Amino acid sequence: MSGILIVLFGTTILYICAASRIEAFVKTLALQGLLLFLLIMIDVHELNWLNIAFLSLETLLMKAIVIPYFLLRVIRRNEIGREVAPDVSQLYPLQIASIIFIAGFLMAYWAAGTGMVVQPLYFGMSISVMMVSLLLIVRRKRIITHILCYMTLENGIFLLSLSVANEMPLLINLGVLLDLFVAIYLLVIFFNMIQEMYDGNNIDVLTELKD
Amino acid sequence: MMRFLLFAVPTILSLLVLWRRDRLVSRGALLGVAALYLAAATAWWTGWDVVYLEGRLAGYFTIDSLALWFFTIMTLVFAAAAVYSLFYLREHEVSPQREAGYVATMLLFNMAMTGVLLANHLALLWVFVEATTLTSALLIYFERHKSSLEAAWKYIFICSIGITLAFVGIIILSIGSKSIGSLFFADLYQRAGEINPFWLKMAFAFMLVGFGTKIGVAPLHAWLPDAHSEAPSPVSALLSGALLNSTFLGLLRFQGIMVRAQLHQFANFLFLVVGFLSLLISAAFMLKIKNYKRMLAYSSIENMGILFLGSACGRTGIYAALLHSAAHSLSKCSLFLTSGNILHLYGSKRVEDVRGLLQREPRTGWIWLLSFLAIAGLPPFPIFLSKFLLIMAFFEVGMGWLAAPFLLFVIVLFFGMGGAVFRMTFGIAPPPPPERGEGVHLVIAAYAPQMLLLILLLAIGINLPAKVLALMQSAAGFYSK
Repeated sequence: MSGILIVLFGTTILYICAASRIEAFVKTLALQGLLLFLLIMIDVHELNWLNIAFLSLETLLMKAIVIPYFLLRVIRRNEIGREVAPDVSQLYPLQIASIIFIAGFLMAYWAAGTGMVVQPLYFGMSISVMMVSLLLIVRRKRIITHILCYMTLENGIFLLSLSVANEMPLLINLGVLLDLFVAIYLLVIFFNMIQEMYDGNNIDVLTELKD
Repeated sequence: MMRFLLFAVPTILSLLVLWRRDRLVSRGALLGVAALYLAAATAWWTGWDVVYLEGRLAGYFTIDSLALWFFTIMTLVFAAAAVYSLFYLREHEVSPQREAGYVATMLLFNMAMTGVLLANHLALLWVFVEATTLTSALLIYFERHKSSLEAAWKYIFICSIGITLAFVGIIILSIGSKSIGSLFFADLYQRAGEINPFWLKMAFAFMLVGFGTKIGVAPLHAWLPDAHSEAPSPVSALLSGALLNSTFLGLLRFQGIMVRAQLHQFANFLFLVVGFLSLLISAAFMLKIKNYKRMLAYSSIENMGILFLGSACGRTGIYAALLHSAAHSLSKCSLFLTSGNILHLYGSKRVEDVRGLLQREPRTGWIWLLSFLAIAGLPPFPIFLSKFLLIMAFFEVGMGWLAAPFLLFVIVLFFGMGGAVFRMTFGIAPPPPPERGEGVHLVIAAYAPQMLLLILLLAIGINLPAKVLALMQSAAGFYSK
């Protein structure tokens, strides 16, 4: 069962590669949060109840509801529709993403040979999701998309941390969540200011500083 | 108790400042926290050997000699920046509301850096490193120009991605150290031999990329010249003098694990590569530098590279790196604060617009010149000693030939930076911009902090006190214990 959830999680990032509507991207982010929540419910048994409660709250409340809702509001207020024009082919990013997936799983099987307990599906999928997120940050131009890709990167890392499921003290989990939330909040604030101060919301407008 | 105060007082005062929004309260809070930190550093210095033994294994926050070393540097830089801020806030005619925001963020930023230095748990250290990014991004945007917005955006985005990768390193480390089941440095150091080498190496690589981005070493430095040049001068001084160091401490602590797991060869090789790359990049940019604040930023990249080289070369190298970190921070703090005076006097950040500094404002001119000599490493300033020690360390670890490229880069950087500094300092001053009038007057807060820093540097350079030496030796001790 957890295997299916992880594969679904991987599919979401492929969908993001192909989708051009930013709203679809945000809704997929919410779906990722939900998948992570289900994964915790099904697969994580080693932790004490307090940690499980915290993690479920983090995924269900923050990752699946609060942050996507916040981002959707920003997008609607700024009337941002698409990342790229609908006629631009999204085949290349999909192809590259597929290659990254193959490489990620090869690496996972290689790593599994080191004798440490690591589930290849978790490890391979999270490494692939992280790499694809970084690829999307490099390829895409809109500032809001960069923030969204940062979120998918965080989700990929979250998946990896579930595979370890070690006893990170609650205090530190709380700190990590606070950092993430403040980071998203600040990124959006800066995004809004760039929107106001510059003409456009593309990173190509940021050219004031150079040597 | 002391550790608790260092976190509680800045938090409470920043809330108070934001609530009252009164100039007097804001400035009082800023200076008060600086005084508290100085008092803490003094208290620890007077009893450090006791603390060193007892503090190591207790709780999430501890002060060992390595932390005390960097804490002292941070405290001095913060105190200087706090005093200079009085001048900065007055000259820029900042409203009480914005002043409250500035002071509150500054206090939280300083608290976050303290967290990085005192954290005894790898993930906790990470939490505070990210917190420093978030708080300082707001300070970089303080002047609200188009360019400072761009700098703040690049800073927060690139560093957040970088630090996220460092977190991957932490997870990977905990995969490899499953049998230890703890991320406290004390446990990791004690049982480093049990960590799987494959995962430890991978964790180190992620950590290096992540924290390296935050330290601003090449090739991960893209944000650094922008952020350091666009931030208000006291903030630039803090970023360069305190923040880079504190993140560097995180890497040093991680290297402690590598040393104990007998993997330091791997770590040292990567440190050397990154270090020399930083020297190369900063030398290349320094030769065609046009903006003097960016010049200081590239010099920071260079000096961070030197710290990396030092930490790759055994005990003597670490020793050199520690001395260098202190000397660089104090000199760079003085340079950045003085660059604020120059910006105020000439109204431009371009090297070619600034001429005859000695004629226009002799005090600023002399401080600028002397601080440059300090950062360039002319004797008796301590950077001379640290670079000399580093070359000795190259020979000690059997890589003496590295001294040749090192010296070459250092000389190129000296000429690049020196050329700009001398052009700015000497010659005939142009007439002042009309909006500033003839009578530009600098208050004592605009040059006293730099003077004190320079005196301190000279004192260290001429005669290193036995107590400082002992602390450095004890701090370098993590390398072989």
